[in-house]
Amino acid sequence: MINKVLVANRGEIACRILRACREAGVQTVAVCASNDVGSLFMEMADECVLLEGDSIGETYLDQEQIIKAAQTTGSDAIHPGFGFLSERAPFARLVQDSGIIWIGPSPEAIEQMGDKMTARQTMRDAGVPVIPGEEVESEDEHEALQLLLDSSTRVGYPLLLKASSGGGGKGMRAVHDPADFLQAAEGARREAVAAFGDGRIYIERLLNGSKHIEIQILADRHGRTIHLGERECSVQRRHQKVFEEAPGPTMTPELREAMGQAAVQAAQAVDYEGAGTVEFLLAPSGEFFFLEMNTRIQVEHPVTELVTGTDIVREQLRIAAGQPMSCGDLSIRGHAIEVRLYAEDAANNFLPSIGPLAVFRPPEGPGIRLDTGVREGDDVTPNYDPMLAKLIVWAPSRVEALQRMRRALDDFVILGTTTNIRFLRELCDAQPVVDGSTTTTTIDEHWPNGWVAASSPMFEDASLLAAAAGETMGLHRKTTSKSGEHFSDVPSPFSTLNRRYP
Amino acid sequence: MQHRFNSPEGPVEVTLGKSANGYTLAGHSIEQTGDGRLRILLSDGRTSYAHVAKVGDTWWVHLNGQTYRWERIEPGASSSQHEGGLVAPMPGKVLEVLVTEGAEVEAGTPLMVLEAMKMEHRIVAANDGVITAIHFQAGDQVTQGAVLLELDD
Repeated sequence: MINKVLVANRGEIACRILRACREAGVQTVAVCASNDVGSLFMEMADECVLLEGDSIGETYLDQEQIIKAAQTTGSDAIHPGFGFLSERAPFARLVQDSGIIWIGPSPEAIEQMGDKMTARQTMRDAGVPVIPGEEVESEDEHEALQLLLDSSTRVGYPLLLKASSGGGGKGMRAVHDPADFLQAAEGARREAVAAFGDGRIYIERLLNGSKHIEIQILADRHGRTIHLGERECSVQRRHQKVFEEAPGPTMTPELREAMGQAAVQAAQAVDYEGAGTVEFLLAPSGEFFFLEMNTRIQVEHPVTELVTGTDIVREQLRIAAGQPMSCGDLSIRGHAIEVRLYAEDAANNFLPSIGPLAVFRPPEGPGIRLDTGVREGDDVTPNYDPMLAKLIVWAPSRVEALQRMRRALDDFVILGTTTNIRFLRELCDAQPVVDGSTTTTTIDEHWPNGWVAASSPMFEDASLLAAAAGETMGLHRKTTSKSGEHFSDVPSPFSTLNRRYP
Repeated sequence: MQHRFNSPEGPVEVTLGKSANGYTLAGHSIEQTGDGRLRILLSDGRTSYAHVAKVGDTWWVHLNGQTYRWERIEPGASSSQHEGGLVAPMPGKVLEVLVTEGAEVEAGTPLMVLEAMKMEHRIVAANDGVITAIHFQAGDQVTQGAVLLELDD
């Protein structure tokens, strides 16, 4: 039994887990850095422990401090969410050695899969196809760069440099021209050292025109390892996913079965337990290759939940408590799409933006789910990842799901901080998205010179009228604001922050 | 009822007309609703609703699925764009300075590498010119809008 869970994370995913715990009748503890005091996730927990320190390393990555917080609050389990400590095997081991339940796979499984270079070798041994490429092992930076340069000529161009400890597009570089190789490798190495404290880089052939397809896995201690079907997450900018869907628009039952089996095989090869995701590249030839396994809950897990009728976080809690998972056989119903709302300027190379969320009004209606860690009045700061929310829709068919997503994005109002909402809305009209032929290079190919919002002179004039009328009417002075910012009157955010299922 | 706003295409001057319950411009009319939004009767006969908020000097307007920004030029203010300076697009840390003072650079030359939100961003020369000053070194923290280097034509 698990009675009290400490959530070693923040923001949106902390909220998702805290809500699942509340629903399961489990007590919760949040940990919180001083610059997160007052955040939504803090409110959702029964207790909150303030982490001392300034940087991420001193707070959310401070293993000792988090274990101590679990002990002083009497927590019997730790859920790491994604990012931060979720894929750090030494932390998982420390948690278990402290007599606390780790909600995730064994430290050994994390080690084997978390280090991308080891994972490639493990998968090759297990008979799962991997992308052609080479790993380089060297402590010395100069020697490593030289070895990488050597192997680049064998792998061939275009190629992809990846950090062995990488994730989220950090420490990753696509190289098309050998002349750019060294500069790219240095940049990737530096980014990897900064983000993961590990500068080891490997090379994969860049398979242009491929789809990114991943399989959700669940495994319990009662002998069951199952897959919950696929998600397609091909649409990426800066190697980060922005648009994810389930089922894959071009998936066939035969291919699902083959990829599902390969994923189950991958999980079993490392005695996997809990929820995990096996990522594949699906080449235009129809061949699929193992990319990596994420040994944690994933950002885009909601689309799988909506089409399979599963609550993956609840299953994680069950499995960690030693109970059998409650899912039956796989059945897929309807279509789900998720988009990631970022505080970023899509028209300026997706540069992260900051500012107040002066108005934050999510869409409502049937088939709409919002997972977020912010609410109106919060500030977007440069301290953490700029993802504001995940907007997920479900509908009986893919066509209807896209229609619903367009409507939902049109209705989503965020003022005070530049977001990618309009970009996502226009993405829903891009031909490859409409016909499901998306690949990992869709955004670059569809907007080769960068994205610019389609303009409408009539609405632009009308918006100018709104600004001028707002000033004349003194709307910014009349309103009741929370923190001295000038907000317009909007309904209470608390009426719009509930999580919704279709 | 005159206002001036900055737009990407330059300053715009707006003179509002008065209607029974609100204001008019270019064939559109506008009035306030009970919940703080603005109801716009568009010139083509359709009705649309706008959310507005003012943050600093900027009016943010959400209308018909688009978000517009209009920075109000306060009466008497002069627009003081920093000429020739290359500014930090966001707060972050300087990772690397790629040029020295006095260097002649071409448009597009990378000048500095910033790290923000764990991603690297390159500051590049907008035009050909000479670097006349460098205000930060590798390792320095910079705030949004900080002038990083000076580039003269």
